[in-house]
Amino acid sequence: MSLQAAKDRLGERRPHAALGRPLLEAKNLRCTFGETIALDSCSVSVVPGEIHAVVGENGSGKSTLIKILSGIVNAESGTLEWNSEPFRASSPRAAQAAGIATVFQETLILPEMSVRDNVMLGLDGVVRRKTSPAREGELVRESLAIVGMVRLDIDKPAGALSLANRQLVGVARSLLRPWRLLILDESTSAIDIEDRDRLFEALRNFRREGRSILFVSHRMDEIDSLADRATVLRSGRSVVTLEHGFISSETLLELMSSRERSRTEKGARAHQNLGARVEPLVTIRGLSVRKGRPSFDFDLYAGEIVGVGGLEGHGQVAFLECVAGSRRPSEGAVYARDALIRSARDAARAKIAFLPRDRKTEGILAPLSILDNVTISALNDLARWGVLRWGHRNQLADQVCRDMKVKMADLKSPIASLSGGNQQKALLGRLIATKPRVLVLNDPMRGVDLGAKAELYEVLVNLAASGVAILLLSTELIELCILCDRVAVFHDHAISAVIERDSLDERTLIDAMFAHRKSAMDADEAAR
Amino acid sequence: MSWIMTRRYAWPILVALVIFVGLNAAASPAFTDSGNWNGMLIGAAPFIITAMAQTAVVMSGDGGVDLSVGPLAGLVNAFIVSVLVPHGWTDPFSIVGASLLVGVASGLLNGIMVAVVRVQPIIATLGTYLAYQGITLEMLPMAGGEAPNWLVSLANSRGGVPGVLVLIVALGIAWLAFERTAFRRNLLAVGGDARAAYASGVNVAAARIIAYVIGGILAATAGLVFTAALGSGDPRVGVPYTLSSIAAVALGGVALSGGRGGMLGSAAAGALLFLIQTLFTLAQVSIFYIQIMYGVILFVALTLNAAGERARRGRMALEAE
Repeated sequence: MSLQAAKDRLGERRPHAALGRPLLEAKNLRCTFGETIALDSCSVSVVPGEIHAVVGENGSGKSTLIKILSGIVNAESGTLEWNSEPFRASSPRAAQAAGIATVFQETLILPEMSVRDNVMLGLDGVVRRKTSPAREGELVRESLAIVGMVRLDIDKPAGALSLANRQLVGVARSLLRPWRLLILDESTSAIDIEDRDRLFEALRNFRREGRSILFVSHRMDEIDSLADRATVLRSGRSVVTLEHGFISSETLLELMSSRERSRTEKGARAHQNLGARVEPLVTIRGLSVRKGRPSFDFDLYAGEIVGVGGLEGHGQVAFLECVAGSRRPSEGAVYARDALIRSARDAARAKIAFLPRDRKTEGILAPLSILDNVTISALNDLARWGVLRWGHRNQLADQVCRDMKVKMADLKSPIASLSGGNQQKALLGRLIATKPRVLVLNDPMRGVDLGAKAELYEVLVNLAASGVAILLLSTELIELCILCDRVAVFHDHAISAVIERDSLDERTLIDAMFAHRKSAMDADEAAR
Repeated sequence: MSWIMTRRYAWPILVALVIFVGLNAAASPAFTDSGNWNGMLIGAAPFIITAMAQTAVVMSGDGGVDLSVGPLAGLVNAFIVSVLVPHGWTDPFSIVGASLLVGVASGLLNGIMVAVVRVQPIIATLGTYLAYQGITLEMLPMAGGEAPNWLVSLANSRGGVPGVLVLIVALGIAWLAFERTAFRRNLLAVGGDARAAYASGVNVAAARIIAYVIGGILAATAGLVFTAALGSGDPRVGVPYTLSSIAAVALGGVALSGGRGGMLGSAAAGALLFLIQTLFTLAQVSIFYIQIMYGVILFVALTLNAAGERARRGRMALEAE
């Protein structure tokens, strides 16, 4: 169904009049972080007794919207109404007091504290207990039972639980609050199908009671089985709200993707370089990233871009770190040609360059200039007899910044003055300055605007064409699809599938990411 | 004994404490003589109470530390003998009440600077550390003054029970009672992961401020103990206890990054620091060697503390993946 057709049919249905007065009405919310516009003009309304999905690509502003509604960040402009009254959630506590309970994307579980403490956290006053210890145990067990966690020792530390179960504890924590609107921000990513279905059944029951649910999901089957309506976000704007009957994956995908993106896609695809796999630069033998998980072999060839995919926390980051030498595998070994990689030093010697995920904490040296930031890893090559050759350094930085298309005023200006996308280009430039043979990139396009993304795609494709092997972890499926020659999909700390270019699409990736869910849960159950 | 089973963090320090009690007893027969216990406890009490004062603050995380613990104890001592007593406020109610009020005020000041104004704890409390020293010297330039008799007599043993022991036990019971409120859970959560606590609806700033207020009250209590033990005032008596309190917290198994530990461990470690001192004095070792020994012990304790923390974090990270 085309966008226009969907809009036409919506016009006929007038959904709001049919559904009654909204519980939550957000209009034209706007929120910026520095130069990044996280949310431009976003409107969404939730009526009592509905399950409302929010869909959009990464970076479309979903999480920012959720954070505004739950009091973590403040909107710059726009209005919020709760029960037809102006409302501003100044803190998570205030949002909860109003009746909004949120399960965030990150599992905000305190590993050293007991399950009981984790579920109860934030319900009491700072000092005053609002429930007696005995009643507390009952409440916690009831809430855990809703998400299917029975026979659990609630006085055991939550850190001993699997990721899936920690997510469920997070859901149980939110359910315990007296909520009228429950927000789930992709908070079920690691949960087993059976547990998820049980949770969904509970959500439907809540809907019958007249309570509302707002949930963010990437998965069409979830949206299809749950949502009464779905609001599509694109580049910080709410595009449209669809009624249940009008939601289909084609419509959503079309609405979610912007024109700029399709241009980017075409560009990247045109450049696609299907190099013959002749010369393995990195050989991985019998690698296991986590004790007790199956080991695997993998070869990375010159001139190819290998994607690394999987649901958050399924071992892909550990895999990258093993290849980059910053983590010892629990079994097996990584070789670059014949050299064993056991440390970051080994990796540097073998010309393997690593781009960590978090730009702010692991990447940029904020107080220093662009020049310093770009050349810091190449200083050894730039020095003669231990003395830095300034001319060479300027030249190199200039060259790299031009290659990477870093938009800047001056090499001497602080790196913090650049926009996120340009910082990322400068960081990639830092790696390039060391003339690497292998690039290991942990989600390099995260939080980068579309224009800069297109340029980064081009840079990566050109690098691969020049014979560099690239290992690219990305949380955006579309990115894996358009950039990679093949994708290694991780599930439960092992490679569950390697998808070759000709069968690579979002559907196959998702199927591979969710494969074998049951077995992991069983192992966890047995461990308990 | 379940209270000891649930406080695993304190096991090493409790074992060490028992060993040092044994060593002291072996080194000097007088150590086991019950007549000496009172004096011994009076010596140990400032170590123990200032260590307890430091604990909640460190547990609140985000670099939480209260450098003003020692000077505040000294300030309370000087305040009693140079302000309260000369003005005739010598009754227990005035003296205890005023001292604790000073402690609460100091805790609020430190806590608000850290949790609301968001000054680094080490800087904020260095400010109060210096200010309290100055105020103390202004009130009482040199040792002197007199404490009321009732306060001095509290330091004596009654019917074989040392007064200070009663105080320490009372503080312990008060803390245990306080732990039964929601505060302990909030404190551990704020210290463990402030973001998770905040997102769950915990009032992070209030929890931190209360941690500093608890520190202030306990430091003021240490000031009362000085006054009772000395029977007078001394402007320099409190200051050294800041460093010993931090050492004790580290020795006592409290995670310096916050979120783990408790008062039992630091109190035991405070007592241990005192016992090391007595042991070396008995052995007639020079005071300088005692200092060196403190340094070495602190270094070892911090190394073990950091190694333990790293190991636990590693395990957790592995679990978390």
